[in-house]
Amino acid sequence: MIFPYTPILVIDVLGSLGMIFVATLSLLKARKLRAKEPDNAIFLYLVWICSGLTLFALSRSFGHILKQVLLLTSHGHTWSAIAPYSGTINTVSFMLVGLVTLFFNQSWTINTKILSSRKALEETHAQLVSLNQTLEQKVVERTEMLTTSEHKCRRIFEQSLDTILVTDAHWCIREINPAGVAITGYTKDTLVMGNMSMGQLFSSEQDWQRISQLIMENEFILNEETYFKGAQGNKLYVIITGGIDYGAFGCAKTFHFIIKNINEKKEMEEQIAQADKLAALGELSAGVAHEINNPLGIILGYTQLMLKSEAGNKEASPYHDDLKIIEKHVKNCKTVVSDMLAFARKDTLEWGIINLNQVVSDVVGFVHNHADFRQINMGLDLFDQGSLNVMGNEQEFRQVIINLLINACHALDKKGDIFLTTRKNRSDEAVIVVKDNGKGISPKNITRIFHPFFTTKPVGQGTGLGLSVSYGIIKKHGGRIRAESEENKGATFTITLPSPPDKGDY
Amino acid sequence: MTMGMMFVLIPGLAHATQMHSTKEGILVHQLGHLFFLVSMAILILTIQGKKLHMERGWRLIQYSALFFILWNIDAILVHFLDNQSSFISTTLISMDHIRIKTLETHYDLSRLYYLLRLDHLLCLPAMLLLHRGLSHLLQRKTP
Repeated sequence: MIFPYTPILVIDVLGSLGMIFVATLSLLKARKLRAKEPDNAIFLYLVWICSGLTLFALSRSFGHILKQVLLLTSHGHTWSAIAPYSGTINTVSFMLVGLVTLFFNQSWTINTKILSSRKALEETHAQLVSLNQTLEQKVVERTEMLTTSEHKCRRIFEQSLDTILVTDAHWCIREINPAGVAITGYTKDTLVMGNMSMGQLFSSEQDWQRISQLIMENEFILNEETYFKGAQGNKLYVIITGGIDYGAFGCAKTFHFIIKNINEKKEMEEQIAQADKLAALGELSAGVAHEINNPLGIILGYTQLMLKSEAGNKEASPYHDDLKIIEKHVKNCKTVVSDMLAFARKDTLEWGIINLNQVVSDVVGFVHNHADFRQINMGLDLFDQGSLNVMGNEQEFRQVIINLLINACHALDKKGDIFLTTRKNRSDEAVIVVKDNGKGISPKNITRIFHPFFTTKPVGQGTGLGLSVSYGIIKKHGGRIRAESEENKGATFTITLPSPPDKGDY
Repeated sequence: MTMGMMFVLIPGLAHATQMHSTKEGILVHQLGHLFFLVSMAILILTIQGKKLHMERGWRLIQYSALFFILWNIDAILVHFLDNQSSFISTTLISMDHIRIKTLETHYDLSRLYYLLRLDHLLCLPAMLLLHRGLSHLLQRKTP
């Protein structure tokens, strides 16, 4: 059969050219894909496939075109010579494509593994980034907490009213808070920069040895009481708690102390002990006075009877002078006993609202005319912002103020200044202050002035009961009496009395 | 190098080695087509097995492989009729016509042979489908 050759020719030539063109385009596309995702093994595989197909298209198309040209130009024998080579190249090229194609599955598996590994790597990376961010956040938070904590500790250190002190391993002071600087009286430079030793603060070397040894043995001390020596040489009664810090994070070993100034507390305790002692003594005195008072009354009675009976006789009795002496001394004894009873009085006297300003004015007016007070300047500063009332017995208050004025007069040797003040304190209590510029009271005696029978006056001039009686009266009225003095600079007696309850209460 | 080229380009008798008949060339070529065909079939099945055909790009590559299979079948048949059987002989009788002569007068076989010679109608679409498939893969969003 005869067929038209043109369609075969056209399709062969154009198809061959189209194959080359499309295969080349496909290879370019595959290369773009590969460039887009260089790690994708599948795209690498597609590049191989397209390369194989392009090679195939080239060899086959050139072969076909050449064949058509040679056949049409009657060079069939030439084509017969070339055809085996062209066929061989074609065979190799499409076998290559087939071979590459067979690796698709493996390529896919490899790609899947690569992708899963990359995903795992990215997840791990994301986790690491997150952890890093969390870590950074935590560092910021911890730093803030640390700063806050440091600030808090610093405030506690600076604001504490007790002394906080840190020494190094050799007991040299390295840190001390303002309270510590205040109680010791040294400057911070002297204490810290001057390498001052903790031991130098102690009043007694023995005490320091004992306390330092206790710390070294037990690693701490708790509420140890001792005396410190201030910068001015003054003694301070303190209580110390401390311990060893062996250091952490590269810090050196240190000793930490908290020191409490208990000077005032100690003084108060001494005053309380004194008051207890006086109370006990008062009880005892009252008992003794009561027992002595009756026999004294009998003795005085009989003495006075004997004096009366002999007054009727015309002749003077040889015992008259002796009886008079007995009478005089018994009367003295009765006065003493009476004062002792007043000191520890338990009887009930009439109480009422007393205007202290009035009492003080009356007493000053009364003593001013006395011969002993003529050369004494009496100053008076009375509370004028309302009434100054207290609840009590007026006669007893008069006695207290007279006693204080008499003592002041003796301290002045009847020449000098006495100043009386009445006022109210912050607690709305009434305060009476009696101040003189006399010889004062020695530190040795000031703790004993309220003791019964304690006197510095010559024998026969004082019983030593005035202040103790005054003390008893003030205590009975719920008040306090306090003496302050420096030798040769006068003395100040301060009486504090509670304000009376409201009218509705009595 | 020169010796090597001579062995390839000017083959002659080499009695020390096995002789190969001229039929070997066409058999190897046919096996090559068969191997290409099988590899394309495996590619189709692999794409199917991995459910890649859900994506348009891979589906087009699957179609491309199918056309390559058809082209291989076409080529195998043409080579068979041309070189392995004596059923067909062709003669270019002029610039415009070709005579296809069968051993016995089988006009249908002649027509079929004529159509099979138009094999570019299969391999060119295969290449075009491959190109389209690659274009779609390139256009998709990067995962």
